[in-house]
Amino acid sequence: MFLTLSPAMALAEGAATVVSPPHPPSAAPGAAPIEGLDLSLSPECRVPGSKLYTLAKLMAVKRALKEKRPVRVLSVGSSSSGLGASTSYPVRLENALERSLPNVDVQIDSRGLSGEVASGAGERLRTMVAEIEPDLVVWQVGTNDALARVDTDAFGDALRDTVEWIKSHDIDVVLIDPLFTQSIADDESYNGLVRKVQDIAAEQRVPLVRRYEAMRFLSASGDKENETHMLGRHFRLNDLGLRCMAEHVTRAITLSLLQPDLGAAPGAEPPANKPEPAKPAGP
Amino acid sequence: MRGPNAIDFWRGFALITIFVNHIPGNIFERWTFSQYGISDAAELFVFLAGWSIGLATRGRDGVPEPALTAILRLLSRTIEVYRAQVVIMALALAMIAGTALLLDNPLILEWHNAGGFFADPIQTMVGIVLMTHQLGFFNILPLYVVLLAVAPIYILMARVNQTGTLILSFSLYAASLVYEWNLPSWPGEGDWFFNPFCWQLLLVLGFTMQDWNRTQPRFRAWCRRLMPLGVVIVIVGIVLSVFELRPDPLTVPEPRLIFTFDKTYLSPARLIHFCGVLLAFQTVYGLVAHRIGPITRYLAGLGRNSLAVFSMGSLLGLAAQFVRFRFGGGMIVDVSVVGCGLFALGFTAWFVEWRSRKPKKVVGTPAAP
Repeated sequence: MFLTLSPAMALAEGAATVVSPPHPPSAAPGAAPIEGLDLSLSPECRVPGSKLYTLAKLMAVKRALKEKRPVRVLSVGSSSSGLGASTSYPVRLENALERSLPNVDVQIDSRGLSGEVASGAGERLRTMVAEIEPDLVVWQVGTNDALARVDTDAFGDALRDTVEWIKSHDIDVVLIDPLFTQSIADDESYNGLVRKVQDIAAEQRVPLVRRYEAMRFLSASGDKENETHMLGRHFRLNDLGLRCMAEHVTRAITLSLLQPDLGAAPGAEPPANKPEPAKPAGP
Repeated sequence: MRGPNAIDFWRGFALITIFVNHIPGNIFERWTFSQYGISDAAELFVFLAGWSIGLATRGRDGVPEPALTAILRLLSRTIEVYRAQVVIMALALAMIAGTALLLDNPLILEWHNAGGFFADPIQTMVGIVLMTHQLGFFNILPLYVVLLAVAPIYILMARVNQTGTLILSFSLYAASLVYEWNLPSWPGEGDWFFNPFCWQLLLVLGFTMQDWNRTQPRFRAWCRRLMPLGVVIVIVGIVLSVFELRPDPLTVPEPRLIFTFDKTYLSPARLIHFCGVLLAFQTVYGLVAHRIGPITRYLAGLGRNSLAVFSMGSLLGLAAQFVRFRFGGGMIVDVSVVGCGLFALGFTAWFVEWRSRKPKKVVGTPAAP
């Protein structure tokens, strides 16, 4: 069933691609224009690897694994990470990570972070990091700034500052870019901000979960029959987005952990999208 | 209705600052004093609330009103503020949902922590009523409710022993900093944005200083003498914020909250900076009030009706954000949005006073109140 679905979805993907990310992985795809879906994800969350993440090293998490101690993860979100039914997201993330990393104890703290990175939320994140002292920060960033129409460069500067600060304390960061929904598909400033998150992730060499692209892919390939409620399909996607996000983040983290550990030559190898590693990870 | 005075004036000033700062990204944001210091309008607002409690629980002659009257007065005020919080939360959630429907954009539902409510209304509804679920920018009133609720304890204790009360309040503050005590959020993880265990100190300082200011000439003399120190603190604050110099929360020694510039815990740096601001600006009202008559009357009007103005300001700030989202930022939008907001806040203050005046006219009692 998956095999029959894959080509159709990959085609849909090709048709939907408008925003091309500015960094290597997809900018130089040449080799594989029709890419297989990542089969380690559950069927409704399947997205081609290049739409899903860019990878980078996670030294602090690796260190924790080597020292055989629990991995502490701080999950920070626009709002979805810390709340109500969405508590299912941190719980799912914890479960998915523990499934992918057998014999590793993953401890997740989740915090909502309302407000804009460009006006103070970056500062508050530092306080949270200092309070929890995690090995890894998984940060859903940008949606609030995009909605508040914060100046893209001001946002970028604040994000860069905060990511640099986190890294300077030997803590890993995984960024998750803003949500996608049909009504902002053509919104220039919103898309500009999404690109800014990608730029900063590439520049700072931190893994990025490309939620915007993943959700766009899923919404393009999803069934159209559920549009009875005005926002029905979007709501489903939103819920699905949360559910899939846990899987996508886990995928990006486990693959990033498999990045070769070649000391200080990070510029040499591109943050590759490995289509499918031999490891039997994931559900 | 009382005439303009320094307390109402500065409270109005704080309200305007909070309103502008609650529209992130707008061009006026960088013109508010919050951008040029370590502390901001929230400190001013809470301190003045304490000062007003001092005024309200004593008669004009300075004689404290009976204990029971003070308790009932504060209880009634607590209920009033709580009611305002519940009402503006309901309106804000409806505004968020309405805008999401209108613009056909479910992302708006995620704004300011509202996502939890729409995703999980059963738990979150309870959280809203308990004030443990707070929307971003709607978190000052929950603090205020808690502070008003415990205020009678402080007020009555201060009547017996003022110094002891201050020491107790300070100890609670210090212990919360060291042990990181805070009220929890629920159903989301995390804590209150404004930690009542810490911010209570500012309220207590407010009503204690109001008393000292009235009864102790030596206190006033020292405030004048220390004014240059206040100016120095303010200048240091400007330099630190303009160059974005602040301690790194991961490199400062334990207990960290003593050394960082944290707003939630009202860290000592913020408290010291705020005291500097008080010292530096203590005479400003007397110097400028009569020169900027209309502005003084406008700000004092806002300050006299601070609860209504704050509530309207929160909702207008949210509406302004939606307008900026729909039409983008920029000079024209920001000037109209902030301009309309300032007018609406002035109207709110005027309307509240008109409404409370009106019945007397209807009855037609010619006698002066």
